[in-house]
Parts: sequence; structure tokens; C-alpha cells
Amino acid sequence: MRRLLHALILGLLGAGIVHIAVLFLVPEFSERDAWSRLAMASDLYRMTRLDAEAGGAPVVKSVDPMFYAAACRFDLADGLVRIKAPGDVPFWSASVYDRNGHNIYSFNDHNANGEKLDTVVLTPAQMIDVRRDLPEDLQGAIFVEAPIEEGIFVVRAFVPDESWKPIVSRFLEQSACELQDY
Amino acid sequence: MLKTALLTLISLAIAIGLGGYSVWYALNAQDGVGAIRIGQWTAFPDVGSLAADPYSKARVAREGVLALGRAEGLAFVAERDEAGEPLKRECAYTIEGSYPTARFWTLYAADQSLGVIGTGKPRQAALQSYEVLRQADNAVVISVGNRPAPGNWLITNGFGKMYFVLTFYDTPIASSTGLSDVTLPRILKAGCNA
Repeated sequence: MRRLLHALILGLLGAGIVHIAVLFLVPEFSERDAWSRLAMASDLYRMTRLDAEAGGAPVVKSVDPMFYAAACRFDLADGLVRIKAPGDVPFWSASVYDRNGHNIYSFNDHNANGEKLDTVVLTPAQMIDVRRDLPEDLQGAIFVEAPIEEGIFVVRAFVPDESWKPIVSRFLEQSACELQDY
Repeated sequence: MLKTALLTLISLAIAIGLGGYSVWYALNAQDGVGAIRIGQWTAFPDVGSLAADPYSKARVAREGVLALGRAEGLAFVAERDEAGEPLKRECAYTIEGSYPTARFWTLYAADQSLGVIGTGKPRQAALQSYEVLRQADNAVVISVGNRPAPGNWLITNGFGKMYFVLTFYDTPIASSTGLSDVTLPRILKAGCNA
């Protein structure tokens, strides 16, 4: 009997350890996280619509129904990545996420130069290089220093009503996410 | 010998079974650590940030969420009305009151997975602050239900559990200091046709 009790207590202790271990391993091994879902939908440096409007189920859930969103995956080990979108929409906001889906940095159209989306994401080391000799066409861009390699960039745009749908769709479809030479 | 093996097996079964189940249970629970409650509305300002607790980090990874950043906005979710009853899709509600400072806000009726509910009609189960009619004191009264209502009407239909998601965009309340004296609208039940 005492040995059974001993085994039960040992089991409960083990359950505590397993609980903590599993909790910390879930983010490492999840195959359903945002990165994996995007990887299934498209390649690196390719803007992908997240909302269901583009056909099919939404890639990443929990997007406000009055918003359209697009995302691209990037790897800063390849170089800096530049995200641009032309056109005027009522409101847009952008976020940089790391590989595990943590929000590293976010900003919206009021923070941008002339309310145009023109951003460069780079590591602090690349920032030092770029600062030494800033190329002419990067003058107006927002620089986001992110201490990460792989990451996700998300643009969200507000659709106030039906009539804005084509304009906001065009804004996201013409947005570009590409490696930048410097 | 056999007894020892059996006892070891019991210990291991409890450890792995209970440990795994408890994580699964904790990740599926709707409210968790780090929640901020204002009236019936709940927000998780830290979800998706690096400062989040391990439970919300695991939830973010498991559900593939890309949470709104601080400069983007803050979402509040309500699952109960003012009387503490769970929200139901077959019931009509009135959402009334004033809203904190933000560039604009959106309100939508959601299902369990917090996706917008399908109405089967061209009209979405969503409203935004630029299209609502306001009272003289800037308060907004919204009628929720499957029957058209004068003023502001949020269409819903069907049966089962419902959630309201109220998201403020470009708002000072998303920064940590702004949340102390925020008031959010109240959700009053107007009746059910169950």
C-alpha cells in the first residue's frame, strides 16, 4: 500500500514536470503556427493574402472581418528586406513578427512618411552597414531594426465599406516584399 | 519484480497522461493569465509580444495567431451580457455607452473560434465607428439581433454561443498606462426568441 502511494505521488510530481516541459516545447514543435501555415501557402518574399477574400480558407485566423491583410516571410540572413505598397487606403498598419509569431515591432500609417508604406527590416549589424552609406532611394523609408533572422511581415488595411474593397485589395496585391541590395 | 514494474508503469502513466492533459486543458481555456477585464470585456494586451507568459506563447504557436501590435490596436472580447448570462446567437441585445479614444473601432459578432459569424446575407455581422449614428452625448446605441432595427443594427442569426469582439485601432489605451480609467459599452439583453 505504501509503495502504491509512493508511486502515485511520484506520478503527480512527474505530471508537474511533464506539464512544464510540454508547455515550453509547444512553441518549438508546433506545426500549426503562423510561420508553418504561411510556408504551406507560399514562398519566402512573397506577399500572401491572409483573409478569405482571395479564395479558400483564411491562412491565419482571427483577422477582423473589416480588414484585409497580407503577409510575407523573410530571412534576414539573406540580406535586408524592403516592403513597399502604393496607393492610399483609409488606414493601414504593419507588424514585424519573429519566427514564433511574437510581435517585435508595429506601426501604422500616421507614423509613416507621407502615409506611404515603405519599410526596410534589417538586423542591427546590417543597420550599421547601411548607415555608413545610406542609398538615395532608401531616404524616406522606415527602418525597423529587428534582432532576428527569420520573420514575418504583416500589413493590415481597413475596409470601411463595400466600395473600398477593390481599392484595398489592389493596395495589398501591389505591395512588394523583396530582398534589397545595398 | 512484476509489482515494481506495475508501480513504475502507474507512475509514468499518471505523469504523462495528467501532464499532457493539463497543458491541453489550460491552452483551451478562454481566459488566462494576463487578462484585463473592463465590465464584460476582456483583453490580452500582452498576447503575441515577447513579454507574454508561457501559456499565451504556447497558445499563439498552437493556433497560429498573429496578434495585433501595440501601435495597431487592441481587441476586447465579451462572452457574457451585463447580467452574467452567456451571449447567444438566438437572442437580441443592445450595446450602449461611450467608447474610449481611438482613430476608429470595429465591432463584430463571432463564433467560438473568434471568426465572424456567417449571416447568409450580403450584410456582414460587423459595424465600424465611421458608419454608426451617435447620440447627442457621443454615445452609441447598437441593436443586435436577426430582425432589422432602426439606428445602428448589427445583424446576427443562427443558434449557439456568440462572442462580441470590439477592436480599437491606433489608440492610446493599447499602451500600458491608458487602461486604468477606460469605460466600455454595456451589453444588455433585449429578449430571446428561442
